[in-house]
Amino acid sequence: MMKQKSKAILHIDHLQKNFGKFQALKNVTFDVYPGEVFGFIGPNGAGKSTTIRTLLGILRASGGTATLFGKDVYKDSVSIHKKLAYVPGDVYLWPNLTGGEIIDLFLKLGNTKHSKKTDEMIKRFQLDTTKKARTYSKGNRQKVALVAAFSTDADFYIFDEPTSGLDPLNEEIFQKSVLELKQAGKAVLLSSHILSEVEKMCDRIGIIRDGEIVETGSLSDMRHLTRTVIQFQTMEPTTELRNLNGVHNIILNTNGLTTFSVDSDQMSSVMDYLSSKKIVSLQSTPPTLEDLFMRYYNSNEGR
Amino acid sequence: MENRNFHQTFFLTRFSLKRDWLKLTIWSGLLVILFASVAAKFTTIYDSQASIDEIVKTLKSPSMVSLFGKLPGNGPYTTADVFAGEMTVFMAIIAAIMNFSIIIKNTRGEEDSGLLEIIQSHSVGKLSNLSASLIELFIINLLIGLLYGGGLQVANLTGTDTNGNFLLGLGLGATGFMYATIAAFLAQLVDNSRSATIWSYVIFGLMYIARMTTDISHPKATWFVPFGWVEKFSTYQDNDWTPVFLMLGLSLILSIAALWINNHRDIGSGIIATKPGRARASIFLRGPLSLFWRLHRTTIIVWVIGLLILGLTYGSIFNTIGDILKTNPAMKKLVGSVAVQNANVLIIKQFVALLMIVFGVLALFPGIQIINYLKTGENKGYLELIHSKPVSRTYLFTSVLVLGALTSLTALFAGMWGLQLGGASVMKHPIELTVFLRGFYAYISPIMIMLGISSFIIGWIPRISVVSYLYAGFALFVEYFGKLIDLSKWISKLTPFGYINKVPVHQMDPGTFWWQLILAAILIILGYIGYHIRDLNSAN
Repeated sequence: MMKQKSKAILHIDHLQKNFGKFQALKNVTFDVYPGEVFGFIGPNGAGKSTTIRTLLGILRASGGTATLFGKDVYKDSVSIHKKLAYVPGDVYLWPNLTGGEIIDLFLKLGNTKHSKKTDEMIKRFQLDTTKKARTYSKGNRQKVALVAAFSTDADFYIFDEPTSGLDPLNEEIFQKSVLELKQAGKAVLLSSHILSEVEKMCDRIGIIRDGEIVETGSLSDMRHLTRTVIQFQTMEPTTELRNLNGVHNIILNTNGLTTFSVDSDQMSSVMDYLSSKKIVSLQSTPPTLEDLFMRYYNSNEGR
Repeated sequence: MENRNFHQTFFLTRFSLKRDWLKLTIWSGLLVILFASVAAKFTTIYDSQASIDEIVKTLKSPSMVSLFGKLPGNGPYTTADVFAGEMTVFMAIIAAIMNFSIIIKNTRGEEDSGLLEIIQSHSVGKLSNLSASLIELFIINLLIGLLYGGGLQVANLTGTDTNGNFLLGLGLGATGFMYATIAAFLAQLVDNSRSATIWSYVIFGLMYIARMTTDISHPKATWFVPFGWVEKFSTYQDNDWTPVFLMLGLSLILSIAALWINNHRDIGSGIIATKPGRARASIFLRGPLSLFWRLHRTTIIVWVIGLLILGLTYGSIFNTIGDILKTNPAMKKLVGSVAVQNANVLIIKQFVALLMIVFGVLALFPGIQIINYLKTGENKGYLELIHSKPVSRTYLFTSVLVLGALTSLTALFAGMWGLQLGGASVMKHPIELTVFLRGFYAYISPIMIMLGISSFIIGWIPRISVVSYLYAGFALFVEYFGKLIDLSKWISKLTPFGYINKVPVHQMDPGTFWWQLILAAILIILGYIGYHIRDLNSAN
């Protein structure tokens, strides 16, 4: 574990941020490693953008530490930003500059130049760079920031809900481009609430709720924490099923099938019981990220 | 209703009044208090006929005519005449600023920010927002006009009458509404609020200069300048309501024109469309400084050229002002032509000394605007991507500060240079540029303090950044106007301009220069510290 920690590009430890009396971030802790895409999920207002802005040195943390490339995100922001690319969720561009001018300006500010890669990205996203930013739609403004970010040679990429304005075709292009970054060994922090996107792209996930990271790990790690839905039919009646540990929501369907959900850690004992009753058919559905997400958020209601 | 274009107009008017109530209350409160308190003060300053005759002599001199407009009618003048003569043009200028800012924000500004699109997606007529904004400003200008009139009734200056009081009050209200319709019309022509603001002030500036030139040479021609109509009220003399109807007529024409354009264009567009531009950035656009220059280029050029033209215009009346023989032909025989020439130059220097504060404060505005961009650009979200680049806060702060200071100083220099050029074009013995540069050098330090205050505010409490403008406006009022209404000396010491000696009549004072520069440096350093440790804002 120690060895892994030393390799982490981003290391956040008990990060806190207050705005006056309001605690926007209570306890945010997670790491991001090279060559991985880290999915940062949570609903609106949970603290995703506040965390990201703190990592960018735009906001100053009230407590805890955050380091990128081993440097303090606030004090060393300038040297960190040399190796960082960022796309905000809402991209605002100077109305009287063209998309092409803004892309070039961003590249120059990052001490790079308009390269073949830039042209390729402009082509890939099919962006008309001669138009004034005033005339761009939200999606086109996002494309400007994406083209600039993808053609920057950075080691750490931050995307804050980058596909909220993109059509499915461009979303696909975005996913492809992130995959290329991952293959090149770059680290990516992807904040999103489009769970299918996160499920498809991310190696590990952090879930944030009310300014607190409530869960981190790979999707398969997390599935252990949740329930699998099982639908079955047996020769013999399964009357004791409802008394077994970790079994929930038993429903007897009219077609003779029974559906229930089971905690992942109780799976084997439940399976043993079912097989003892002579299984006729059995179908299991793994939990989706959505189930996981809902479980964390619905448990909030009780508080 | 047959025509659905105006559907829900009155609902939107009520909504706008509710939304803007604080802004409207502050503006109208300030204007009415200013107007009424000056009126109340006048009863004590100009209580004797001797003091009135004294000020009337000043007001009739070409330099004062160029600044405040022509005093109408013939003597004997009363306190009320002096009040109307001094306040009319001045209040008209403030009315223009108020109406420009509110109407452009409520029409083109709402369209820029996308709010209008949301409103129009509801069951609301296409022209409802524009008509609601016009009605809103009509109501507020009418209210201000009535309060002016009422205030004058209460102040009860010697020589007033009810007709004149309400003519002046409602006339100034009509002036305000006329400016609102001018800006509303221009906001329909161009396709963004910044251009609308720039164009409104360009038109305003041209009208001011036309008014000034005609006042000096052909007062009748002032009838052709809408700005000049305020002078034609001839308040307390002839009490002429014609200009008020002219203003309302022009307002009606402009309102109809604006509504017509609004009806015939798409949302977010103008008659003057935005053309496509470069696909690649030029080699000059490469960092924060060049970006800020690019963003403010038009503003900077407009202000610098504007001040140059203002200087030229004032300079071109030097021969009229500095002609002592006109009033006293026997003087040449008495003191000789060299002494006459010296006396003429002194009069011009006195005139320039009074003008200095106008140039100083006008030169400040673009500088403050550039420094405040660290806040406005932040709030609009434009700077968030810059903040994620390897660009230090120090560099950003330094960039706006350098650009802002250079802009203000260049604009001031342009004004001084304009004075010299304008003077040289009409005088037999032109005054040298070095004389005007005394004014330039002396005003560097107070301008730097004012910009230092702006940077301090941006560093620590950016949400009150508008205070910089208010403070500059206060300085203009106190220095330019304070002498006429006999403000106490200590009030003048509340701004750094109050410590500058009378330039270019005298040389600048190096002592003042240095302590002011040191104070400016301290403010800037404190501002830098604040900007370094505070949270930066984002659009959401």
